[in-house]
Amino acid sequence: MLSVTWTLGLLRRRRSRLLGATIGVGVAVALMASIGAFLSASKATMASRSARSVTTAWQVEMQPGADASTVQRIVTGFPGVTRAVPVLFGKTTGFAATTEGTTQSTGPGFVIGLSDAYRTAFPDQVRSLVGATDGVLLTQQTATNLHAVPRDTITIGRAGLPDATLIVAGIIDLPGADSLFQRVGAPSTSQPKAPPDNVLVVPALTWHELFDPLVVARPDLVSTQIHTTYDRPLPPDPSAAYFKVLGDGHNLELALTGTGLVGNNLAAKLGSARSDSLYAQILFLFLGIPGAVLAGLLTTTVAASGADRRRRDQALLRTRGASTRQLVRIALSEAMLVSVLGGAVGLVGALIIGRTAFGATNFGGTTATAVGWILAACITGLVIALTAIALPAWRDARQLTVAASRQTVGRRRDPRWQRYGLDVITLVTSLLVFWLTSRNGFKLVLAVEGVSTISVNYWAFAGPALLWLAAGLLTWRIANLVLKHGRRPLARLIYPLSGGLADTVAASMGRQRRLLARGFTIVALTTAFAGSTAVFNATYQQQAEVDAVLSNGADVTVIEPPGVTVHPDQAAILAKIPGVNGVTALQHRFAYVGNDLQDLYGIDPTTIVTSTKLQDAYFVGGTATQLMARLAAKPDAALVSAETARDFQLTIGDTIHLRLQDGRTKQFTDVPFTYTGVVKKFPSAPSDSFIVANATYVASRTGSDTVGSFLIDTNHGDTSAVAARVQTAVGTSAMVNDIANKRRKIGSSLTSVELAGLTRVELGFALLLAAAASGLVLWLGLNERRRTFAIATALGANKRQLAGFVWSEAAFVTVGGLALGTISGWALTRMIVKVLTGVFDPPPTSLSIPWSYLGLVVVAAVAAVLLAANRAVTSAHRPAIEMLRDI
Amino acid sequence: MTGVALAHGIGVARTFGVGPTAVVAVHDAHCAVYAGEHVALMGSSGSGKSTLLHLLAGLDIPTIGAVTWPAIGTRERLRPGPVGVVFQAPSLLPPLSVLENVTLPLLLEGISRTEAQERAAGALLILDLSELAAKLPEELSGGQAQRVAIARMLATDPRLILADEPTGQLDRATGTHVIDALIAAATTSGAGLVVSTHDPVVAARFPIRWTMVDGRLTTPGVCPCSA
Repeated sequence: MLSVTWTLGLLRRRRSRLLGATIGVGVAVALMASIGAFLSASKATMASRSARSVTTAWQVEMQPGADASTVQRIVTGFPGVTRAVPVLFGKTTGFAATTEGTTQSTGPGFVIGLSDAYRTAFPDQVRSLVGATDGVLLTQQTATNLHAVPRDTITIGRAGLPDATLIVAGIIDLPGADSLFQRVGAPSTSQPKAPPDNVLVVPALTWHELFDPLVVARPDLVSTQIHTTYDRPLPPDPSAAYFKVLGDGHNLELALTGTGLVGNNLAAKLGSARSDSLYAQILFLFLGIPGAVLAGLLTTTVAASGADRRRRDQALLRTRGASTRQLVRIALSEAMLVSVLGGAVGLVGALIIGRTAFGATNFGGTTATAVGWILAACITGLVIALTAIALPAWRDARQLTVAASRQTVGRRRDPRWQRYGLDVITLVTSLLVFWLTSRNGFKLVLAVEGVSTISVNYWAFAGPALLWLAAGLLTWRIANLVLKHGRRPLARLIYPLSGGLADTVAASMGRQRRLLARGFTIVALTTAFAGSTAVFNATYQQQAEVDAVLSNGADVTVIEPPGVTVHPDQAAILAKIPGVNGVTALQHRFAYVGNDLQDLYGIDPTTIVTSTKLQDAYFVGGTATQLMARLAAKPDAALVSAETARDFQLTIGDTIHLRLQDGRTKQFTDVPFTYTGVVKKFPSAPSDSFIVANATYVASRTGSDTVGSFLIDTNHGDTSAVAARVQTAVGTSAMVNDIANKRRKIGSSLTSVELAGLTRVELGFALLLAAAASGLVLWLGLNERRRTFAIATALGANKRQLAGFVWSEAAFVTVGGLALGTISGWALTRMIVKVLTGVFDPPPTSLSIPWSYLGLVVVAAVAAVLLAANRAVTSAHRPAIEMLRDI
Repeated sequence: MTGVALAHGIGVARTFGVGPTAVVAVHDAHCAVYAGEHVALMGSSGSGKSTLLHLLAGLDIPTIGAVTWPAIGTRERLRPGPVGVVFQAPSLLPPLSVLENVTLPLLLEGISRTEAQERAAGALLILDLSELAAKLPEELSGGQAQRVAIARMLATDPRLILADEPTGQLDRATGTHVIDALIAAATTSGAGLVVSTHDPVVAARFPIRWTMVDGRLTTPGVCPCSA
């Protein structure tokens, strides 16, 4: 009964206190539930986006002796298979072509036979570059090797049979070459590192004419695959979708009874998506939990600002005979009221946020997930309310005497953790854990193909978590130290604000150091949270951009058709197009390194740095700038892949002899280069081995300065618009790609985890927390001391003198908190980015600082402080008459 | 009493709230306090004593009538300095030591820190509180805290001392000691002294006794129209 009376009394008389705590709990619940909605939404889109990006779901390879029509019938009739079209593979001993009086030949290759039905069912598998879109089609690299163009005649070598001749109709690119030439049924570790260099695509009928004679004589040289699409409803969770598709693939293999092996491209893609999904959860843990904990801390602070009054109330009740049990029950009823109200507010808020930020209409993909998230969010709210209200009340009721309950300042000893140096121990442990986890290259997620469990190295979380704790405790210690022992310097610092009262104000602040150190720490931690979240998100976005640039080459890329001679001076014309910030010409050749044919990119090291985004992570042995400078300084310098450097035992300065095609004779000739460094990735380059060299040197040694593509930077402009203008300028012969279009096509690489929604929520909450921490905590602290200010006013303090007290405290908490928060935020961001290396592809060269957002955080925090302090000064100078009557 | 009044109330009334719930705390009060006068303001709890003292101290403004301070000046010039107030409840600033509390009104007056500390130490010495100078308010007993509040008030050398039930929360012996201190201080400085109390024993120590009953003040010998 006492609890009910007390609760009703709180609702009538202590509304602001209840409101503050309710809002705090509401913010924490909303943050948790919003992140739940984000996770559900992102998981659901991950599965569907991954599935959409796969054009050939399954590649069923017929086994020797299998009856083609039976296999075709089983595959076509299998549930979920909507299209099943055969693809014919024939191995050739090599291609040859005689053009402009010279004959070029290649090593062994493949001839692929595709029916018209295939081109209709899988339109994205063949991309036309030059000439006809059907008939006899040479892949780009083969055409370059043969120096062949449409209407040239080529010879196809067949083992044990006479060579056949065909007339080239067009040049093409095979975007899905990696999966097309996979070794079906082999584990990922024994898959070919790169697709074959020489490929010819012909109509199915032509293929049969070429290779049917080999079917009986050399069955090892021919094979048939059936490529299928798959259209069954998939579970929204990538992991569940992965196992469903994997299981269906196995079922198909069972149905084929050994006549076919299934290459499950869709399962492979979903397998990658389930890692992404786990990374999304890890991101939640790294980014979301600190926010929820901070919201909890803030609520605890809001509740604690009323602790003195609550303690006095408790003391009064105890003098009237209330037992410890009754006091605890009263506190519990207040905590329950706050958690129920805060929980409701938070869930409604999260629904609104989820709907507006990432289109989620509930908190989970399934009812069970939704209920789980709602429960988790509400339990978080309850724990915060119990920690903030019930726990201190229980502690006070058990440990404090009535007289001690009335104390507000006290000469308390430093907390035990501070005396034992827990903050320093935590910091050292954090760094130690960080160092230990760095030894495996921060591999957080390990998803083994076909294995149901994904292992997560949760140990890696300990580093940042301990750093958060250490940052909080160290900040508290520093604030406490300054207030306790730095009274004189503090007085000098606040002299401009408090004038002749500076010593008195500093003494007052020193004795209230617990209250001020708490506010100081909360401001620092919220600043660190806002800073680290913003910098992490900006860096993540930056790397997503870099990923897209790496794939596209630059903001806008102009790819010249093979066989067409385009000179580098064309760059000057492109540079004049509105919206173009920088242009560089990129040669694309093929060079033999020993027997290995590799892509060679001839660049202008002085202009490429302004035309695309080169990352330090692309290179070994120096930064991007340093290696470009080395190239610029030595004309014959060349960067090769780490694999090439290892295979050929190269050391810097070694001469390497590459064989490049001479533009005049069309013969491969020996060209010496100097090994200058290692390149791992390069815009528009393939994922396997390639070479980067100076374009001018390549041109002088091969007699041809023909450009393969132009890389265009738009300086964050409208790439689609620039691409359209460029396309108009270069005509229809060249292909123009822009990064926006490429970004849409990147299916489920790690950087495609949809962070935009989470970013909006996180940054919004961080801003709210920063403003609330600085303004609300200060105001509540000052509000609690209205009586003190009323006494000062009764003693004759004028407005300016009262303001001296208020502004000095405000400045200390805000400026100090922001400064230490910035340092903590910087350290945390560096550690989080390092630990989450796996999320970034490629790893960032430097952190991206979102100055405008950080500026907004500072402005919001300072504005909140100004508002709170100004309100405190005004109300302190005109104390309520009831307050004076209490004195 | 002759001379110019330190504080003079004419037809002073103070009402709290509006409408049917309004409470008239002070009703048509006429009073004057002169230098050297020692006045006991008697009345039961809730009779309006504290409100009248707040009005005389310039801490509150009358709803009707006027309070003036002919010998001191305008309301803005009353504190810190000419008017010293001792409150019923503990009124020391919790985060400041005893010495800092006593020094504070002097610093608010603009006196240099060194001089303020000397005067504060002197005030504490008068009340035999020097050994408590470094203590915090919450480390003091109720009587000690009230004596420190008196020392703080005396440190500014006020011309009018207004004490609101200064013994209300103290035992008889401590209360007597506090009243002794107040009377001694007022006598030494020649200040006017008004002490509100509901205790007849305390009131008996003052030559002039005003009485308040339900907000109505009876002040023997004060003409409503003169200053």
